[in-house]
Parts: sequence; C-alpha cells; structure tokens
Amino acid sequence: MTTEPGGGAGGDGRPATGPIDRRHHVAEYFRLQRWEIPPAGGAEGYSDVGGRIPLEDHLRSAAGGVRTGVLITGLDSLGGLLSGLTVLPRWIVTTSMRVTLADPVHRGPLRLHGRVLRRGRNAVVSGLDVVDEGSGDRPVAAAIMTCSVLDPGDRDLHFERPYSTPMPPARPEPPAPEDFFCIEPGSGPVTTLRLADHLRNPWGILHGGAIATLAEVAAVRAVEARSSAGPRVGADAVLHYLHPNRVGPVVARCEVLGGSPRRALVRVAVHDLGQGDRMTGLGSVTVLAV
Amino acid sequence: MPHAGYRRPGHFVGDLGLVTEVLSPGKAVVRMQVSPEVTAGDGGVRAGVLATMVDVVGGMAALRMVGSDWLATADLTLQVVQPLTGPVVEARGTVVRKGHTTLVLEAAVYDAAPGVPATGADRAPTPGAWATMTFAILPGRRRRSTVDVPNGLPDRWRVDGRGFDRPIIDALSITVTDAAGGVVSMPVDEYLHNSVGAVQGGAMAVLGEAAGAAALGAAGGGPEPVVRDLCLTYLALGRVGPMVSRASVLQPPDGSSGGRALVELFDNGAEDRLTTLIQVGAERAGV
Repeated sequence: MTTEPGGGAGGDGRPATGPIDRRHHVAEYFRLQRWEIPPAGGAEGYSDVGGRIPLEDHLRSAAGGVRTGVLITGLDSLGGLLSGLTVLPRWIVTTSMRVTLADPVHRGPLRLHGRVLRRGRNAVVSGLDVVDEGSGDRPVAAAIMTCSVLDPGDRDLHFERPYSTPMPPARPEPPAPEDFFCIEPGSGPVTTLRLADHLRNPWGILHGGAIATLAEVAAVRAVEARSSAGPRVGADAVLHYLHPNRVGPVVARCEVLGGSPRRALVRVAVHDLGQGDRMTGLGSVTVLAV
Repeated sequence: MPHAGYRRPGHFVGDLGLVTEVLSPGKAVVRMQVSPEVTAGDGGVRAGVLATMVDVVGGMAALRMVGSDWLATADLTLQVVQPLTGPVVEARGTVVRKGHTTLVLEAAVYDAAPGVPATGADRAPTPGAWATMTFAILPGRRRRSTVDVPNGLPDRWRVDGRGFDRPIIDALSITVTDAAGGVVSMPVDEYLHNSVGAVQGGAMAVLGEAAGAAALGAAGGGPEPVVRDLCLTYLALGRVGPMVSRASVLQPPDGSSGGRALVELFDNGAEDRLTTLIQVGAERAGV
C-alpha cells in the first residue's frame, strides 16, 4: 500500500473502497476536453494525451491570458489522466507540479499535450505543454508533473480505450474561479478556501486544481497588499502536494520573498485547519505586474 | 545528493569549498565563500552553483532521516529573487515531509558574512533565493555507491578542494556549439562524479544554466541574460558523456524579461539518453 502525499487511498494508508466517483465538476467548469493518443502504428509504449480548453472571459487574468490556477487545473486533470492510464490497474495521485509560463496574453482556445517522461515503480513523471491555438500555436506554458503510484483498492477503473471525453457544454453564467473554488474574499497574506463537496476529487480530497487556484489568488493578494501599483497576475508556479486536504477550511499563508517591481516571488504554504493546521502543500508563485 | 566522498580531492563540489553543518535531523546549513569564478553577469552567484549548494544542504538535512537507505535527487527548483553577492552565501535546508519513498525539502539562501554557520546572526534578514526539492529514498540494499560513507557522518565538515583558478564554466570544460539551439556540451569524468559514478546533479544544473542562457541570448540578439530560475527534473543518470544539451525558447527575451527556455540534457555516449529536463527563467542583468 503506497501512502504518498496528495491523497489517494487517503494518503494515510487507508484503502479506497467503493466504486470510483465519476463526478467531473472541476473539469466541467473549465470545459476541458481530453483524448488519449495511443503510440503510432500500434507500437509498444505509453499513450500521450491531448486536451483543449476554450478560453472564456471568466478564466482570464487582468493581463488577458489564462489564469495560472486555471491552467494548472487543466494540466493536473490531463496529466492525472495520462499518468493513471500509464499505471493501470493501479492509479496515481499528484505529488508535484512545476509550471513555467511564457507571455501572459492569450487568445485561446488552448491546446494541451502530455507525454510520459519516466515511469518508475513508485512514480510517474510527465511533461506537459500548452499552446495558444488562436495565436498560431504560440507557446503558453510548459510543465513537469510528478505523480505517485497507489493501490486503488476496489475502485472501478475501467476505461474505454482509447479514452476520450468531449468538451462539456458552456454555462450561461459561469462563476469566477474564486466563487467556483469557494475562496473567501479578502486581502493580505492569508487566504481561505471553504472545502465544498464539489471541490473534492474522486478520492474525496481537495482537487489539486483548487489548491493551485488558492495559491495563485493568495500570492497575488499578498503582493497587492504590499503595493497598490496596478493589477497583478500569477505566472510561474511550483507546488508540492504534501498531504491530502480532507476537512477544511484550507488556508494559504504567503510570504513575499522579494524580486523587482515587475516580478515578485511568493512562498505559499497551504494548511488544513480542520486537521490541526497541518501543512498540506508548499510552493511558490511568481506574481507579475501588468 | 552529497556524501562524504566529496571530501576526496579533485571534485568540483570540493572546489566550491562548501562548509556544511547538520543542525538536527532534517535541518542543515551549508556555506560557501563567493569568488568571481562562480558569479554571473549581475555579480551574483550563478544559479547553477546555488542549485549545487541547495542539493548538498538538502542531502545533509535528509541523510540522518533515512537510516541505512540512500537518497537520489528527483527534482530541484531554485528561484533567485536578488543577486547573492556574499562575501559568503549560506543555504539552510529543512525537510518538510518524509514519506516511505520520498522526502520533500525547502531551502533558503542568504548573503552572509564569514562566521560560524549555525548562529545565523550574521546573515541577511531575507533570502536571496528559495528552493524546493524532492529526494527519492532508495533502499540501502540496492545502493551501488563506489565510495565508503562513514557510519558516523560528522555534524560539521568542510568539503575541501583547490578552488577555481578560472570561471566554473571553463573548469567544467563546458563549451557552446550552437547558441541558438542551446547546444552545449560537457565532458564527463571523475571530477563530476557522484557516489554512484554518475554526473553530480549540480554539474547538470550548471550545464543547463549555460545552455538556457546561450539559447535566450541568441533569441534576444543581445548579451546573455542572467539565469534566475532553474527547475530541474532528473530522469536518468548521466554516466558516459559527453553531456549535450538542446534548448527551445518558450518566451524570447524582451525589454525587461530575460525570457524562458526549456533545456534537455542527453548522455551522448549512452545512445543520447535523455537524463534531465530543465525549465530556465532569466532576467536582463540590472533589471
């Protein structure tokens, strides 16, 4: 029994039981389309995966491009699928995500692609890249995602192969990411997220994309609290998922480490207050002045 | 990942002159005297050198938590927020999570004055760089070290070396073949080996830094920018050499930004095996 961070099988050694929860709340919110790309010509090897996100206005930052939290949520969903398909009949949980962004202005839609870089006994490392289809496939971001392999217990992990999910339909009035992810209004170095059920992943713990969005919002607020000069947006991000968030509220505590007037580096520590203030995540977000 | 084997003469980690101290299981500090040979165009210590320090301090902090098991660096991210000019730089590492198969650590790097590492009283109040890393825990029975590691690793020791009489890029025989493509090569010999006879992760960081700077410099049409961010993912050991890089520019430099690049490191003598992926971020010097 693998007892790795982030959650699955609890991250506390308890085996998962029951049928897998097929809720797709988070992916549906971002309207993420996903498809498996088997090795060419029936060759041996791991599948790649592709994805597409229509860049709607409510997902854009003050710079006009995709918000970092949104992007990481899409990468987490796509990379999780890629890594999971690679280790079937076992499954995975995300342990880290490291994202480098190019120019923060995008037209959309965004196309994502993922490939397996390394598949070990205990971990899968995948490389993900994102291009802006509306700007001639200009690079948007590159990411490295690491997942830990876990025993899914008796969860039903049957997938029709090659796997694909269509793009979910548009909502008439989609909420802002802060509202969807139940991030409380506020300012300063501490930001709080209420752990609502629709934010839990199939393992019953807080979705990695919610943590990423919380980190982005918190880092921007922390920088804006120190300077009133213009809007700010999140850019590069590094996230280590240390333990699952099960209870909530979940808080992100930020420390602005420094930088230039244009670019600030923020350390973000995520804690689950309902689990005795346990630190569940650690990372950094680069915040840019627009 | 460091170990006492670096105390042998003729190793690039030794030539950095690191002084290390284990403060407690899970906490360690490493200090280094800054010399011009390890600095970049902004006068601060090169990101690749800082990554080497961070790797060492992380290993020192983690070693006493894994008993007879061994550690291998799986990933390392370093972000520089201001040039670290010394006269001494100090890296402090802390284990933030220990699992069955991995350890996660964070480290902060400060400017400091010469002094006793453990006090911290003489260092700058805020870090000039911040880092995180993941170590894979390898069961001791699978260890393939070529160097004896003392059972009782001392709490405090110095990695002795001769120092550098030329820039570290030259000391590592790093040469640029094609700047626009980020093609840079580095021969492999014992000077770069870690305990399992592969290229030490810090040397990979220095090579990746050089490759990223070359590619971004060529893309921007001006002087090479200063690398501030290195995000290293170690996929396989580099054993044979030469190590050869290839880079793609994610974002070219503009008026204020030094750009973003992706660097891949291949072991040319091992059928061009991909060993390391590096996300590189840079800034214009002085910005």
